[in-house]
Amino acid sequence: MNPFPRRGLLAAAAVSPFAALAACQVQGGADAAESDFPKRAVDFMVPFDPGGSGDLISRAIAKAAEEPLGQSLAVTNKPGANGAVGLKELLAGKADGYSIALAVKSLFAITPLAVDDPEAVIIDDLRIITTLTNEAYVLVVHADSPYQTLEDLLAADSVNYATTGVGTGSQLSAQLLFTGAGIDATDVPFDGGASAVTALLGQEVDAVSASLAETMPQVEAGELRPIAVFSEERSPFLQDVPTAVEAGFDVVVDQRRFIVAPADVPDETAGVLSLAFEEAREGAEYGQFLQDNYMDRWEVDNLEAKTHLSEAAAEYAALVEDAGLQLGDGA
Amino acid sequence: MDFSTVLSGFAVAFEPQNLLFCLIGVTVGMLIGVLPGLGPAATIAILLPITYTLEPTAAVIMLAGIFYGAQYGGTITSVLLRMPGEASTVVTALDGHALARKGEAGPALGVAAIASFIGGTASILLLTFIAPALAGAALAFGPAEYTVLALIGIFLVGTLGSGSLWKSAAAAALGLLIATVGLDPLLGTPRFTFGTDQLADGIDFTIVAMGLFGVGEILYNLEHRDRPQPAVPSFGRAVPSRLHWLRSRMAILRGSVTGFVLGILPGGGATMSSLVSYAVEKRVAKEPSRFGKGAIEGVAGPESANNAAATSSFIPLLTLGIPANATMAVLFGALMLQGITPGPGLMSEHPDVFWGVVNSMYVGNLLLLALSIPLIGVFVRMLKVRPGILAPLTVVITMLGAYSIRNNAFDMLLMIGLGLLGYGMCKLGFEPGPFVLAFVLGSLLEASFRRSMRLFGGDLTEFVQRPVSGTLVAVLVLTVVVVPVLRTVRARQTERTAVD
Repeated sequence: MNPFPRRGLLAAAAVSPFAALAACQVQGGADAAESDFPKRAVDFMVPFDPGGSGDLISRAIAKAAEEPLGQSLAVTNKPGANGAVGLKELLAGKADGYSIALAVKSLFAITPLAVDDPEAVIIDDLRIITTLTNEAYVLVVHADSPYQTLEDLLAADSVNYATTGVGTGSQLSAQLLFTGAGIDATDVPFDGGASAVTALLGQEVDAVSASLAETMPQVEAGELRPIAVFSEERSPFLQDVPTAVEAGFDVVVDQRRFIVAPADVPDETAGVLSLAFEEAREGAEYGQFLQDNYMDRWEVDNLEAKTHLSEAAAEYAALVEDAGLQLGDGA
Repeated sequence: MDFSTVLSGFAVAFEPQNLLFCLIGVTVGMLIGVLPGLGPAATIAILLPITYTLEPTAAVIMLAGIFYGAQYGGTITSVLLRMPGEASTVVTALDGHALARKGEAGPALGVAAIASFIGGTASILLLTFIAPALAGAALAFGPAEYTVLALIGIFLVGTLGSGSLWKSAAAAALGLLIATVGLDPLLGTPRFTFGTDQLADGIDFTIVAMGLFGVGEILYNLEHRDRPQPAVPSFGRAVPSRLHWLRSRMAILRGSVTGFVLGILPGGGATMSSLVSYAVEKRVAKEPSRFGKGAIEGVAGPESANNAAATSSFIPLLTLGIPANATMAVLFGALMLQGITPGPGLMSEHPDVFWGVVNSMYVGNLLLLALSIPLIGVFVRMLKVRPGILAPLTVVITMLGAYSIRNNAFDMLLMIGLGLLGYGMCKLGFEPGPFVLAFVLGSLLEASFRRSMRLFGGDLTEFVQRPVSGTLVAVLVLTVVVVPVLRTVRARQTERTAVD
């Protein structure tokens, strides 16, 4: 017997009460009702450019999921507007489980604060198949900088800082921190992590907030100094660096990545996919990938993930409004 | 400097397995260079999973080969079909295609291949001896320096056209305008996006180049079917004549140095170097009027420059951990996947990888030269295909290329639209070259200028006060104001003496 339908049932049972109900019905009913998903390759869309963090992690997890899924995963890139172009296409397609995509937290929680899009994809349009990673933002200064600690930097008369772009976690975290500290800080958006970090290496700016993956190589080489991490707890990759929360600033900003399908994908199908990706997350190669790219695991269930994303969106919006900030001028 | 590591790098590069992956890399690179649309960055990203199982040095040797191999391949479509696939080969298309029309496609491609080989090889030599010393140069370039550099580039664009200066300037202005499409880089405000997020990230360079040059040219030719088609010599001779060689050699030398220096700068280095090289050749030429009508120096200089730049763009990645362009960003990812962190520690921690990859480029360039020369004959015969067949075929390939960039059908429509614009421009005597290059430099200029203004608190005088940007401003003033004024004055004097 093909092992996959059984696996599908188990997964469905594990994922939601509705799925459990469906599973009971199947068990009680005829064999004909049993799902034989997936019968062919599944399209895994990466709504980001090839070669970036989002692309690399998608390819790593897709590779690990092929065996448990019993089918190949065809990874295609469809970049644009922080993932919005790709996800809109995903939603326009069939909700049969053969089209899934990578999604990021910033598209739902931060982009709307900077860019006004009445047709924006909202989290309720999607079903979260699996959660993958949590990547902390870290505030770094140049190794030759006079600022040894966050306190030093915040005592400066004025600060110029680079961000990885408008409407990113990099911009949000730094703006919240500097506004909270009440210092005169100028935000200079660059196009991506590499150019922002280059500007800091050339000491064009005083500080930059960027993801660990974007900054750690330079931190390890001794070129940059991390002075604060924008996560709730200290990062396992930077045990000695205090969080902004420890310093008295309630700024927690991170990027999270997860896999989605259109919201009305059948429960059973979603269950098969979820189980395959959950097994893939346990793979040694994937684990090594996360370690090499300074990514933390974020492995929670569908419901908790959705709650986190909606709460983060509301929280960021409130913080931005309280601080009287403007990320862009579009919203 | 310890040269034993350099020499052991040769041992690494000559291992049979590494030679094989070098050959695979450059061959794939050359092929994707020929196909419009499919760029090296996307190809390398697609091939990344294959490299998981490879040994790190072999993997990076192969991926690097794809990158510089694509530079060779891109020249072929620029010359034969006037369809540049990369920003750095736009200027090659100008005189290269004019030569092809005169039936000299073979020698043009031959010179281009030799120029590429010399430029690439000279750049590796320079990299070997002075890379560590030059690493810091990339960091001396902040937003202010890029602003002035882009401004110099945009003024140089004006020297490109073979016709009226005003028409070149108008085309360049239109290019600058199109460069503003997309989300504002500092504020996120949508500009000219017509409410669709398809345009949120702006328009891809390849779409603009293929539309204006490729599709525009085809449409224009359809209307002028009686216009002479490129003459094809009985055999696609790739061997340049003595005259070609005499005219090219100094151009190649100058181009190699220009390319090496500008290639070190992250962002736009290769494009700027080919543009600067073209402008320099036109300035030093005895008869600048030949340019745009098939001057071999206009192919030799920029080709050596863009290949030298491709090689030296590895310097910031390997020595600082800064990716200089999209392809380098993907290579950065590839190295990270192999557990190797590109950056200041690379040369001491992984000398075998560093020098193995660097030295494999000598081999790769030699292989590319050996591959190009016989293949030129084959490619040139492509021009023998009747326009009635070649044109639709080219359009189909271009459309596939446009789709493949973002896997997006919208981009195909966009390219047709730009093709119509290109046709209209051709018909009214506006050249696409200045448009396309201004488009590339426009985003760099705008974002850099506005970043500088934020950093300087709105104080324009800082551009002159900083040493590097101050020097560049001086260069700008010299080339744009002083030299033309002197020229005009001298021309008037000679006129007067002639009248007297």
